[in-house]
Amino acid sequence: MAFLLKILAPALSLALFAGPTVAQEMPISIEVDLKLEKSVVDADGNSRVERVEPDLIVPGDRLVFGRIYRNSGPEAVPNFVVTSPVSSAVRLAPDADPSLVVSVDGGKSWGVLSALTVAAEDGSARPADHADVTHVRWTLAMVAPGETGRLEFPAIIR
Amino acid sequence: MKRELISLERAVAASLLLALPVSASAAGVDAGTLIENTATATYDAGEGPTTINSNTVTLKVDELLDVTVSSLDSGPIGATPGSVVLTFEITNTGNGPEAYTLTANPAVGGNDFDTAIDGIAVDSNGNGVYDPGIDQILTGPETTALLDPDENLTVFVLATVPPTVVDGDQSTVDLRADAVTGTGAPGTTFAGQGVDGSDAVVGAGGASDNATGSLIVGITTVDLTKSATVADPFGGTSTVPGSTITYTITAVVSGSGSVSGLVVSDVIPAGTTYRTGTLALDSSALTDASGDDAGEASASGISVDLGTVAGGSSHAVTFEVSID
Repeated sequence: MAFLLKILAPALSLALFAGPTVAQEMPISIEVDLKLEKSVVDADGNSRVERVEPDLIVPGDRLVFGRIYRNSGPEAVPNFVVTSPVSSAVRLAPDADPSLVVSVDGGKSWGVLSALTVAAEDGSARPADHADVTHVRWTLAMVAPGETGRLEFPAIIR
Repeated sequence: MKRELISLERAVAASLLLALPVSASAAGVDAGTLIENTATATYDAGEGPTTINSNTVTLKVDELLDVTVSSLDSGPIGATPGSVVLTFEITNTGNGPEAYTLTANPAVGGNDFDTAIDGIAVDSNGNGVYDPGIDQILTGPETTALLDPDENLTVFVLATVPPTVVDGDQSTVDLRADAVTGTGAPGTTFAGQGVDGSDAVVGAGGASDNATGSLIVGITTVDLTKSATVADPFGGTSTVPGSTITYTITAVVSGSGSVSGLVVSDVIPAGTTYRTGTLALDSSALTDASGDDAGEASASGISVDLGTVAGGSSHAVTFEVSID
């Protein structure tokens, strides 16, 4: 990771000069985690899916991208919209919630996957599929004081 | 795999990293690729839209080790005692650069005989054919250069067929490639030995593969037999001036291979004269002129070009002379 830190260093110093870009007293917070879904077979021969820390990940593995929001303030937070890019190294899993609002054009336009199209090689439009998804988005009308929740989507490493 | 929590201020820089194109191979995204999880949330509590960023979790894709080996020979190689070359292809089916140790085994069950392995060469000039002195011969332990994901390499197994073989003998040579990082049951992990310090993990194929190439001995021989019948002018078989001698030269080709450029020629014996227009191949007449068919004849001798003749066939050349 030395390589990553080197690239990050200039950005970090820039950020320090500019001061924190996020207010410290935010009543609401969001935190992400990333889990690996692994199929394990128990002593009785039944297989079940377990979520584990992703210590080893290779193409074809199934990851769950989680985000936890928490309203720790005294006021309700209206129109809470959570947006996430989908790493180009993964594709949205085929069994992802079909009502999930997604973008297949880098976040310019949004809809459920079945309503979206992308340009095919010959320039015509074809229905978008899970591998085309670039962003996902959730919209919560209201997050009540003290409310916490978890949003997630499954994806498979390309 | 390395895992990092990146603070809010660094999220922007991390996004830039992810904007780089992800290169993928048949085995999936390349080892060392970073997968990032981050989120942005907006809301409006009456003072205009407010945006908050989450932390960012970054994972590094670990390295899958795998390989395939295949024979590039379309079938058994025809061989005779001496040198023979078998051609194979090594393909990196993992997702990171990997080198492979090659092992050629000439003692395969069912062999009529075993070859002696002289070496393994790589197709340095990429023409698919072994070029002595040009294609690099690997020194032990025979190890390829690093192959990128999906990259393939043609290699040659150089072997010697012993002089004791007989026609039709067959032999098989096995070539195995093992990932240098390690092999084992799928899922076997080599901590920190993958790309950029990622872990290396054995793929479904065990990070090892083998393929066989075979050869068949084709020893072909040609036997020529010459016979003569005499007819005298009086209906008998005495050799007197004016008698006709019909010569038959039979070429019998034996063995599983074939011979090429087989030419049958003979001289007209002294004291005899070639009877023009009597040259024939397998009872079909040939002209005496050269160039118009397989045969030619003159006062000094005859010649018939049989070209390439497969083992197991025979041909008869006939011509007549008269005794002077």
